[in-house]
Amino acid sequence: MTLTIAIHSSKGGTGKTSIALNLAVAFAASGKDTCLIDMDLRGPSLCSMFKAKNNFWINDFLSGKCSIKDTLNDIQKDMETSGHMYLSFSNPDIGEIRDLVSKDRNWQAGALKALMTGKKELAEEDMDVIIFDTSPGVEYESINAVAASDMVVIVHNDTNACNNCTEQLIKGVYELLDKKRAIIDNMCHDNCLDLTERTRHGAPILATIPCMCEIATRSKNEVLVNTEPEHIFSKSIMRIRDKIEAMQ
Amino acid sequence: MLDSELLEQIVKNLKEINSKLDRLVMQVEDREEQATEKKRMMADSLDVITLLSLPDHLRTTATTLFEIGPATAEEIAKITHKERAVESNYLNQLVRMNHVKKYREGRKVYFRINESLKK
Repeated sequence: MTLTIAIHSSKGGTGKTSIALNLAVAFAASGKDTCLIDMDLRGPSLCSMFKAKNNFWINDFLSGKCSIKDTLNDIQKDMETSGHMYLSFSNPDIGEIRDLVSKDRNWQAGALKALMTGKKELAEEDMDVIIFDTSPGVEYESINAVAASDMVVIVHNDTNACNNCTEQLIKGVYELLDKKRAIIDNMCHDNCLDLTERTRHGAPILATIPCMCEIATRSKNEVLVNTEPEHIFSKSIMRIRDKIEAMQ
Repeated sequence: MLDSELLEQIVKNLKEINSKLDRLVMQVEDREEQATEKKRMMADSLDVITLLSLPDHLRTTATTLFEIGPATAEEIAKITHKERAVESNYLNQLVRMNHVKKYREGRKVYFRINESLKK
């Protein structure tokens, strides 16, 4: 059974990409064949951390120009994981992004169907985990990814705006699409690893990750789960992985 | 009436007729444009934001159809744990809203998400 997770947030800059990438590597390190797909089509990030080895982007797949398998880059050797670790990049070319912004509802409807088909194709290839890194808020690309997932992991910052918008997203999107959901409190300023709350807006809280500049600075060149598994951040990510598995 | 006056009157009338015809042509063109636009809107396939705005029962049916691809009312009913006749009713509502297409294969009736104007 393939587990599909969308990493989403109501606001930008909450740490979705760092968590998505480290969580994917954590799953692959535990022997699961894992695929991380950059669905932040308007602000691609994965392509700036890794070099694409093939000619196809996730954008090509969503437009029906190739199969989802054509977009995969295996970084298992670089990450030294026991399971395969695939990345699917979003095209950072500004022309491509401008083109995307002008796509209409029909294209987005086609993109959702493509995502559903792609998920099935990867399941047939015995992929264990698919993770979508999304763009924040209610954008077509991210809600498409949420609709195609089994569960949503919300990366949350403790600001009033983030709080209000998260509640709205849960009630107005995830609940309507009947998705399992969980929250990660990221960049917490009270330097506390213990959970102060068990649930929020009806969703379990998986972890409280303290705010550390090091996570941002080191994430530029390394995947902490891979380079320093004993780091507080890496340990939190491993715990999150185990809790997600226990939820299935 | 002088010949020249008569001629002037005829030219004046012709000009009036001409401008009336122009207005009529413009009205017909406008109407056609509106009809095409309406048709385009009607034939929209089902995008995720539209899916969110559907009433609960129809959204569950449509989401299930998205998940499993072309399916019969019976196959959908098995997943949603509702009666076949109920799902059949919901699916036909989605067909009337142009979100879903209905087709026959042998004796079975299948439904799929409308994608006629995908691109």
